[in-house]
Amino acid sequence: MDKTATGSEGGEFDPRVAAMLLEETSRSARRQFEFPSPLLSLIQAGAVLAAYGAIWLSVRGQDPYSGPSLTAVAALYGFVAVAAIAATWEGRRATAGVSRRPARQQWSRAIPLAAAFLAVYVLMGALRYDGFSTAIVYGILPAAGPLIVVGAAMAGYAAARENWQDLGVAVAVVAVGAGSAFAGPSGVWGVAGVSLFAVLICRAIAQAWLRRA
Amino acid sequence: MKADVLDPLIHVPARLRIVATLAALPDGDALSFTRLQKMIGLTPGNLITHLRKLEEASYLSTEKTGNGVASRTTVALSNRGRAALESYTAALRDLLAGL
Repeated sequence: MDKTATGSEGGEFDPRVAAMLLEETSRSARRQFEFPSPLLSLIQAGAVLAAYGAIWLSVRGQDPYSGPSLTAVAALYGFVAVAAIAATWEGRRATAGVSRRPARQQWSRAIPLAAAFLAVYVLMGALRYDGFSTAIVYGILPAAGPLIVVGAAMAGYAAARENWQDLGVAVAVVAVGAGSAFAGPSGVWGVAGVSLFAVLICRAIAQAWLRRA
Repeated sequence: MKADVLDPLIHVPARLRIVATLAALPDGDALSFTRLQKMIGLTPGNLITHLRKLEEASYLSTEKTGNGVASRTTVALSNRGRAALESYTAALRDLLAGL
């Protein structure tokens, strides 16, 4: 039934049909504006597992720890790029035709994230300069550091927007970063990769469940 | 069933869909006329007519930028429109609960 064709001025518009139409329209609109989608969460989960897994395969069993191979680092950035491209594509789909208030522009989120990432690399340089071991500078810090600082930046952004789902994910990312550091310079890559994969899969499941609710 | 307790400006299928779609956006965000039309599935003329009625009631605001082929019209639900939809939803719920 074409619900928009009936009761053009509402005279014969049954309230029960109105309730169904309101529910359907709201759900459909939320789904179309939704970002990230469950599919994007799955893609990001796969990319994170592959990226961290590539490094872990490169460093496992190293004694003493000498750091990942250049091929593994290139693979990590390759998978990060895949996740970023997927997020950009999804973001464009969801926000096509949407004009946001200046405070909600993408750069308002990009700046703290970029600053957080940059801070980790500066800290790596400082620690190397101060004579810290390869295990710390090229092992634990680059694996766990970005998760802690980027997770914290995301948490602040999500809390400001009262987006509790994103806040939960961000806090989980921080916890993964901090907790995985206990696994040592080689193990941290494997533990962080699997844990982050699990967090993103949980997010995809939660998103899919919320869609049906 | 006393449907006259429902806001007549919203209690019209096309306008209900317009308001519900715009309400799915965060407060203050606007949607282009083109995408709204695509999502609602109305003809441009029909959509304009309904938008005008909602705008006259200050339930939404429209903004046109640019000229000629580069012109772009955006539509945003106002605070008044959002409150009206909330009242409509509550009235609808009460009405259906009484059946």
